[in-house]
Amino acid sequence: MIQTLSLAPGITLRGCTDGRFKQSVLSIQFVRTMRREEAAQNALIPAVLLRGCRAYPDLRTITARLDDLYGAGISALVRRIGDYQTTGLSCAFINDRFAMAGDTILEPMAKLLQQLLLEPVCQGDGFCEAFVESEKKNLICSLEAERNDKRAYAGAQLLRTMCREDSFGIPRLGTPEAVAAIDPVSLMAHYRKILKESPVEIFYAGGTSLSQVAQALSPLFSEMDRCYVNLPVQTPFRDAPTQALRTEEMEVAQAKLCMGFVTPITNRHEDFAAMQVFNTLFGSGQSCKLFQTVREKLSLCYSIGSGYYSSKGIVTVCAGIDSRDMEKTRDQILRLLQDCRDGRITQEELEAAKLSLISGLQTVHDSPGAMEGYYATAALSGLALSPEAYMQAVEAVTAQAVAAAAGTVQLHTTYFLKEVGSC
Amino acid sequence: MLTAYPRLDTTLYRHRLENGLQVLINPRPGFTKTLAYFATGYGSVHNQFILDGQTHSVPAGIAHFLEHKLFELPDTDVTARLSALGAHVNAFTSYDMTAYYVLCTGHFYESLRLLLEFVSTPYFPEESVKRELGIIDQEIGMHADSPDSRVFENLMQAMYQKFPIRQPILGTSDSIRDITPENLTLCHRAFYDPSNMVLSIVGDVDPEQVLSVIRKVLGSETRTAGEKCREETEPVSCFQPRSLDKMEISMPTFLLGFKWGRLANSQESIRLEVIGDLASEALFGESSELYLSLYDQGLIDGSFGGGFEVADDRAMLVCGGDSDDPQAVFDAVLTQAEKLSQTGIDETAFLRMKRSALGRRIRDLDSFDSTCFRLCAYALSDFDYFTFPEIYDQVTREDVRQFLLALTDRSRWSISVIEPL
Repeated sequence: MIQTLSLAPGITLRGCTDGRFKQSVLSIQFVRTMRREEAAQNALIPAVLLRGCRAYPDLRTITARLDDLYGAGISALVRRIGDYQTTGLSCAFINDRFAMAGDTILEPMAKLLQQLLLEPVCQGDGFCEAFVESEKKNLICSLEAERNDKRAYAGAQLLRTMCREDSFGIPRLGTPEAVAAIDPVSLMAHYRKILKESPVEIFYAGGTSLSQVAQALSPLFSEMDRCYVNLPVQTPFRDAPTQALRTEEMEVAQAKLCMGFVTPITNRHEDFAAMQVFNTLFGSGQSCKLFQTVREKLSLCYSIGSGYYSSKGIVTVCAGIDSRDMEKTRDQILRLLQDCRDGRITQEELEAAKLSLISGLQTVHDSPGAMEGYYATAALSGLALSPEAYMQAVEAVTAQAVAAAAGTVQLHTTYFLKEVGSC
Repeated sequence: MLTAYPRLDTTLYRHRLENGLQVLINPRPGFTKTLAYFATGYGSVHNQFILDGQTHSVPAGIAHFLEHKLFELPDTDVTARLSALGAHVNAFTSYDMTAYYVLCTGHFYESLRLLLEFVSTPYFPEESVKRELGIIDQEIGMHADSPDSRVFENLMQAMYQKFPIRQPILGTSDSIRDITPENLTLCHRAFYDPSNMVLSIVGDVDPEQVLSVIRKVLGSETRTAGEKCREETEPVSCFQPRSLDKMEISMPTFLLGFKWGRLANSQESIRLEVIGDLASEALFGESSELYLSLYDQGLIDGSFGGGFEVADDRAMLVCGGDSDDPQAVFDAVLTQAEKLSQTGIDETAFLRMKRSALGRRIRDLDSFDSTCFRLCAYALSDFDYFTFPEIYDQVTREDVRQFLLALTDRSRWSISVIEPL
């Protein structure tokens, strides 16, 4: 059972004690409003923090410390959750029963987190310049590397095109230009502001009680000088006039067709479960309409699927196809959407979609990572349902409700990435 | 037979059925999901085999094509039936293994029955085989645009002269056009006999009921299975020292590969894998002197990494990532291997590395997917995966030093680089 503890104003610890696992996970996220002017800084900070602290001044000594803690892992955590961007650290470590007699891991891990978060290597009023410059280069490289994964690139280009006036159009990790402009002193000033005013969302799942976790973390938060500022609530998609079809050319073997749709139904809406069932039935998994028709019957693609960004009310469909099949594929996608709107939904399709969603929710509690993924983001995204309540809502969805949800879905923008010189 | 592994706080039920199928069940009381892998030790490199006394050569990519086509049964829509049970089904083909898996939160025995049934039933209507060509062509296109796939495939072609790992798992757009219902049936007969397969299950299930389902679907008879064969003699040295390619990417990406010799047996393979992973950690892992130095110089970033890999009876050490100067990284890795092979590794650092590697493997047991996969993959090599802590106990610093010494032979290294257009 998930418990929620308030450690201080704006500092929430969620989690559960579960002895079934070999490892524990612990994540700390500082929550910011997604803003163009700070997205890059928020993305850069955890990478710089993981370069060194006073006690462990470089990568090698940090890794050696993690090795001593039985191969514990620690990584940067930067998420987009609706209109918010989170920045922080996430770690995983074995439960004490696998350590040598008398060794405990939680307390030293909490201590290491404290050292990394509060005692970074500094130069004057800023972070260590060499760390900042090197991580800026790495972040710029990884932003530029987005185009290496054509599917991810095409999906991101679609969202950037359709969300010009919405926070969803702001790149999650900032832009190369914004990263290049960061200097160690202003980055430190921004980080101090984050520590002071941002809501903090902590999640733990593992073998120790939540009160012990709170106790292990208390030195970290007692060190922080806090003046917490509330965040604005999540907002639905904000429309802006845009191109109905945007085409880009690249040296690729396979074209990508991405279509962006909007719906007023978000995860705060009473028809949310029906919308989720629609998305699953339409484009998720192997029994969905898109896979069964566009791939299996018509052989137009290998990969096709839809996604529902529930905090915003955006549905996307992406398919990897031959350029020559663009119009045919697009027409099929729209025809299958129309079938949903018209209620041409079989009982089998409805039940399969509901079962698929319910199975996914049932397994949330089977892995510490899945629990973190659900509970550390659900409340922030505006979703007020536990997996159990969510399952009940899905169970109650009818074919008429799915058709009604599909009826709200409207095509907004189409993005097409194709081979250079293709038709 | 149920074996307890106190160091891992887990158990394993193991049984070999009359038809030769190995069954492994890792009980997970209190968990909702159950995962089952049904796997054969047949992958893309096994394109030559002997069946009924005759040697057969089959087209590149057929193991993967067969994996796609097995999802059909004469009178049943497999995907729809499993979806109706709330089960998630999928499969993958590697160089030396094909696995089909089903993830359930209920109706496990019925889902298992369907999994066993569709994998063991060869049904390849001509029309359906033709239709699959279009789908796999698109999958080949998707891989052609992936720098990670291309840099690895190019490395294999540089390292190996004869070994069929030179050919992509998916085959090529040309080679898959030689695939027919007849040669699909032949491959199925050769490699999908229960005696060639493993079923591993992670979850809260009743072993007796599992065995009963298997007996009902697969029967108790064994048939003649295919015998893998390979005519080639693969040289010790790499075929070519380097491969250079260009793609629509943002910065150069590279892989270095060291060609290990042929592995004598599975025991050697597992031991070598542990030694190879520890040697990789000492040489270029995040706690190594080299990693810090290359990272500080900006020659590597967080994408850099690697380890020891086994494909069939071949093994290799592979590492790489993105870099503006792959050759400088290559030179530094070789120089450091020479240095470490002379100085050896400090005892404290060695023990720390072992503790860390062991801890990471234990944490990995929380993943149903990884556990099911490893149980299968190691069982196909007749090795009990859950005894890995004992392998770590046995490995010495000298083993690692000897491994590093082998890495100083430059003729067994290749580098594959992809540069931006």
